[in-house]
Amino acid sequence: MIEKYPPGAASFWRVMAIARRHAYVLQRSPHRLFDIVIWPVVDVVLFGSIGVFAARQATGTAAQVALYLLVGVVLWHVVYQAQIAVATGFLEETWSRSVLNLLTTPLREWEYLAGVALFGLVKLAAGVGAVALIAWLAYAFQITSLGLGFVPIAALLLVVGWAIALFVIGLVLRFGSGAEALAWGILFVVMPLSGVFYPVSALPGILRPIGQALPTTHAFSAGRALAAGQPMPWGELGVAALSTAVLVTLALAYLGWMLRIFRERGFVTRYS
Amino acid sequence: MANPGSALRAIGLVKEYKRGRAVDGVDLTVAPGERVALLGPNGAGKTTTLLMCLGAVRPDAGTVEIFGHRLPGARTQALGHVGFVAGYLPLPQSVRVEEYLRMFGRLYGLRHPDRAAGEGLARFGIEHLARAMGTELSSGQKTLVGIVKAALHEPRLLVLDEPTASLDPDVALRVRTGLRELSRDHGTALLVTSHNMLEVERLTERVVFLSHGKVVADGPPAAIAERYGRGDLEQVFLHLAGVET
Repeated sequence: MIEKYPPGAASFWRVMAIARRHAYVLQRSPHRLFDIVIWPVVDVVLFGSIGVFAARQATGTAAQVALYLLVGVVLWHVVYQAQIAVATGFLEETWSRSVLNLLTTPLREWEYLAGVALFGLVKLAAGVGAVALIAWLAYAFQITSLGLGFVPIAALLLVVGWAIALFVIGLVLRFGSGAEALAWGILFVVMPLSGVFYPVSALPGILRPIGQALPTTHAFSAGRALAAGQPMPWGELGVAALSTAVLVTLALAYLGWMLRIFRERGFVTRYS
Repeated sequence: MANPGSALRAIGLVKEYKRGRAVDGVDLTVAPGERVALLGPNGAGKTTTLLMCLGAVRPDAGTVEIFGHRLPGARTQALGHVGFVAGYLPLPQSVRVEEYLRMFGRLYGLRHPDRAAGEGLARFGIEHLARAMGTELSSGQKTLVGIVKAALHEPRLLVLDEPTASLDPDVALRVRTGLRELSRDHGTALLVTSHNMLEVERLTERVVFLSHGKVVADGPPAAIAERYGRGDLEQVFLHLAGVET
């Protein structure tokens, strides 16, 4: 006789099963380490070196450019790793044609997302850890110098990364493999608009309102303030939290809408 | 409250795609322990009907209940009683068979997925594949592993879409034998699509024929052949497909 878990425990184990499935994927596909470790390290070397070079030419507060770039790149990789882990996690199911197999089990949508996001935290720790380590070893920048204020900023950026991933999954559900490129590309639209390395006032006037509306803009601004030794700008953080909540709500609504279309139009046959 | 006396009860299913109406008012009921084949020419609406019965595709009209759990609201409870396998679905490349089965065992809520996986592999005589990677399996072995996956949790309804497509006769026989044992030992109802009429006659006790999205015949294989004045199911199939021999 088969023994089954009661509903609550079964739900927990389904989340763990999905997380473990993605651990196997990483274990057996070392090339995926490029996304997690290699590109982040390339970024920190690139921006760290640009910052050091610029700082040598600059005077006064402009000499802090290296610090701003390094803070930006470390925080950026929180968004990047969170987004890429969840979005490519779902893409993995489409590449391996597992979508129909998963849809025909008791697995709930949120359990799937929780499992992918859970293992994504491991990837995030590896990626951001590598970035922070290189920033410290090569440029003597310690992310811990931001103090405890780093925690809520990183937490907001983590949630923003997940919300963007939900949009990407929604697009893949609706438009199929044609939308795959957005898994990586969408962040390179968000990045300049968010003022990762500079205040949004540096953006062309027409783009500033868009930048101001993004939660990432306010989180990065708060990060730069902390790096400059200023107290935590709670106002910026509050705006970031509020706009993150709006973004998450929109992302969930969009994903739910796309999932409904996916089922109504029988798009699952694209992956079977 | 739905009728929990049926393993599957689909009433008035309709599905319309841009290219036309794929399923047009299908009623399909499977009793507990019953072995039913869903047949029809290509494009008759078999797979769309199955996918609606599994909640993967939403019907434009009609209802689906599995052991009294109505979709889509009670999807998780309903699918806890169901196993699904399709001959055309691959195994993920990056996992071993035992890891794949453990994952699905967990998805089905099993406390001891490894034990269930071991028993399932033994039932089909493929214990030696436990450590194999998905890429190392032949198509027949993949199908057998897929059936083990679908039956891990001793489902009360097993849905099989073309389970023996492109299998050698010996492997197909092993599949049929394993499925019959499963149905006999656990009272599992089977709902099978296949293009192999001989297999259908050997495995199932009732046949539902679809043509142009509608049910055109429903009954025991011999009775259907008699009704259409044909010698066997294959001739009925050819007749419904518009090909006369």
